[in-house]
Amino acid sequence: MATILDLHSHSEASEDSRAPVEAYLNWIRLRRQERPIDGIVLTEHRQWNAGADYRALEDKFGIMILKATEAETDYGHMLVFGVNDEIVHRFDFANIRIPAQELIDTVARMGGVVVPCHPGRPTVGLCEHYASKPPLENVVAVELLNGGSRRGEDERAAALVAKYGYRATGGSDSHLVSLIGVCATRFDADIKDIDDLVRELKSGRYEAVDFRAPRKPVPRAVPEQTA
Amino acid sequence: MSGNQVRSMQEINIGDNIGPQPLFLAKDRVRAYCNAAGLAGVPRFTDDEGARKEGLPGMITPGNMSAALIGKLVTDWARPYNGRLVRIGTTYRSPVLPEHNLSLQGFVTQVDHGERTAELDIWIENEDGDRLVTATATVRFP
Repeated sequence: MATILDLHSHSEASEDSRAPVEAYLNWIRLRRQERPIDGIVLTEHRQWNAGADYRALEDKFGIMILKATEAETDYGHMLVFGVNDEIVHRFDFANIRIPAQELIDTVARMGGVVVPCHPGRPTVGLCEHYASKPPLENVVAVELLNGGSRRGEDERAAALVAKYGYRATGGSDSHLVSLIGVCATRFDADIKDIDDLVRELKSGRYEAVDFRAPRKPVPRAVPEQTA
Repeated sequence: MSGNQVRSMQEINIGDNIGPQPLFLAKDRVRAYCNAAGLAGVPRFTDDEGARKEGLPGMITPGNMSAALIGKLVTDWARPYNGRLVRIGTTYRSPVLPEHNLSLQGFVTQVDHGERTAELDIWIENEDGDRLVTATATVRFP
């Protein structure tokens, strides 16, 4: 059975989001026909939200909630899945210059997986870093579709995926309730917990999926006259 | 419903649309705002050439003006309910350039009948669908 997960989202535990997790779940329930996701991964900025326990919400809504981290590295932002005590002990996620290659290799050795996110975004994306530094080794996948991308960013990510043969994920990068689930990742396998997710991210049996509504032309407003 | 009849908060639901409202900011309108807001001498808001010297593509809309436009969308929406804007938070993701076809829009994302509040997501979007400024707001009802 396939599983569709939004692999990139931020709740009010991140300093730049005011979205409560329960509000996300209400929104998913409301928009399930257009965004048929089975769960979300909360990837709070620069922290491992160890104390957060969402099991009661999972039970109430029937929607899976997993936890990960969005780390900041010398090659841009990266999602860290499968965070455990060993990884938390090894890396200070508050550090905004974590060495990317070390993060990728060490997390893999410790049972997790690292996925560079919004690679086409200026400054914080992998593409810009690859323009001036050697490519990273052992990258399993990158985020091809990001719900917060501006024009051209997903296209740059697609070119990166094509050039290096990376596998591709999708996530909303939602900081607003109404944007949860606009991009996601469809896995071939049944995913029940974070261990399943890490295993499947390494397996490559998944694809990025886009649930964004087609962009409509913005109607032109009548310019107001000024004195 | 007569023009003066107050609508009940009970009519508000999660998922209700706010807008979309087309928005075209003429450069003169931005300059008029700057004159009123004490920003008349700031080139990035009033003069293309001056803005380009700062590395911008041309004059941009002041963040406070974007926030004010978002705030007005919210208060216009809340007025029939006698709602009051009690909090607004904005994130500036990309410059808002005048002389573009923009759209102001959003959704009701939470309704708390006990607290008599609603939470809203609002943003300013350009022709490409890029969200230039995003905001959340809280409206309180009597």
